[in-house]
Amino acid sequence: MMMTALKAQCKAELLRTMRNRRFLLFSLLMPLIFYFIFTGTLGDHRMVDGVEWKAYYLMSMTIFGLIGSNVITLGVRFAQERTQGWTRLLRISPLPRWCYIASKMFAWSMINLGSILLMFIVCGLAKGIRLPAYEWIGCGLWIWIGPLPFMALGILIGMLKSAEVVQIVGNLVYMSMSVLGGLWMPLSTMPDLIQKTARFLPSYRFGQGAWSILGGHLLGVAGTVILAAYTLVFMVLSAYILKRQEAV
Amino acid sequence: MKSVITMEHVIKHFKGHTAVNDLSLDIQEGSITALLGPNGAGKTTSISMMLGLARPSSGTVTVMGGSPQDTAVRQAIGAMLQDINVIDRLKVDETLDLFRNCYTRPLSLKHLLDISGLDAARHQYANALSGGQKRRLDFALAMAGDPSLLFLDEPTVGMDIEARQLFWETIRKLAAEGRTILLTTHYLEEADRLADRVIVINRGRKIADGSPAEIKGLRGQKTVAFSVPTEEAASGRAANLISTLQDVLSAEWDGSRVTLTSPDTDRLIYELVRSGIDMSEIAIESGGLADAFQFLIQGDEQ
Repeated sequence: MMMTALKAQCKAELLRTMRNRRFLLFSLLMPLIFYFIFTGTLGDHRMVDGVEWKAYYLMSMTIFGLIGSNVITLGVRFAQERTQGWTRLLRISPLPRWCYIASKMFAWSMINLGSILLMFIVCGLAKGIRLPAYEWIGCGLWIWIGPLPFMALGILIGMLKSAEVVQIVGNLVYMSMSVLGGLWMPLSTMPDLIQKTARFLPSYRFGQGAWSILGGHLLGVAGTVILAAYTLVFMVLSAYILKRQEAV
Repeated sequence: MKSVITMEHVIKHFKGHTAVNDLSLDIQEGSITALLGPNGAGKTTSISMMLGLARPSSGTVTVMGGSPQDTAVRQAIGAMLQDINVIDRLKVDETLDLFRNCYTRPLSLKHLLDISGLDAARHQYANALSGGQKRRLDFALAMAGDPSLLFLDEPTVGMDIEARQLFWETIRKLAAEGRTILLTTHYLEEADRLADRVIVINRGRKIADGSPAEIKGLRGQKTVAFSVPTEEAASGRAANLISTLQDVLSAEWDGSRVTLTSPDTDRLIYELVRSGIDMSEIAIESGGLADAFQFLIQGDEQ
């Protein structure tokens, strides 16, 4: 039952995502456009933190797109399913609640994988980015696992009152985290204060992991721990709110 | 007969008032039971507790021998709830497939489309369906797990008369297969035509429980209506004659037509014939379920 439910959930999520113009526009098209604009204006070969800009910014924009879809699209979806009563229907089915959430997260990691491949292939070919295979794979894997805290955040924000509220709050969180986390512009170009606070942001730590792989470094322990801590906090909070919402 | 649902002394406090107040009931396997009551009587709250969506403040609810929260119980129940909008950007068949797969032994997609009459609409987006079609999709979703216990909360709202009758037909067939059905409805005719048992609740308590015929019998009154020639009505001769009869509780005149209320309309007919009143267009009616329902609720409020 769990496996067939998982498969059915994946299929449904994929269909809904492909039919969602907002997703296609904001999570796939916008990062691509930004990528080409900012590599065009700043020059492909400029060096940032010891990495060629066209490769550095590919990671930034791939991550930027993923944070958006995992916080906003996923959050809005949870909110909609709850306010429209679909969640209530699921609650009388034998499918356990955790299985529903886990299968949705699994489905989204499939969507994320597709987004990553799309970005890597389109930008990599268009800009002729040459990286060693292990860097492609390393960055790809990191960016594939990295959305976990953002999915957890999406689930948490998805518990807000309505889909409209989720949309607004999600966008605020998304945009500020992207700018302050150095995804739009490298952190080294920003004021000192922002550089200091960014170290605690999951968006910066997500990006930093990919940039350091490009720079030939290993993943930092601090970054991984901070991301894991965010995941844990968001999940515990969600579980707590969920319990309260359902205790009627 | 086996009990499928048992509620024992269930009390539910909800948002500062008592929605269900010491309710006990017992639903038998294979029966079609209608839960009736005015708005706010506690019908939906009761059903929510039977479905495990709400917990009783005190008392116990047992469904198929277990807790409504048990996975095994959930495999065997289905429900048409109110205010369910299906998820966006999925078509009818995709929605059904998604929900079917939550169950270990679901009905086939084809079967679900057949019994809900949605085969022609299977490729439409679920949230673009008409009100009646949406209700049929809710029905198909309720049947997805091949339930042996089916809850129908206001199932035919939004359906036209033809669709409603077709739906009743389907429900009767499901009951004949041995499934237990519990429904709430605002259409008393629906309860009368469909249910073999009616439970009336008001202000969270059970005030009547029996077959539709028994419930109607609680009112204990039937009516005989007929018309008399205009001059007999005008002269008051007919009214005088009627006032001498024993079995008349009340007489209501409307021009030359009179409606008599009586505990025994059979005997009243003999008396009327013997009295020699010139009657035409005679109609004998036992009060409908609507009448009995009104009577019970009013009696309870006093």
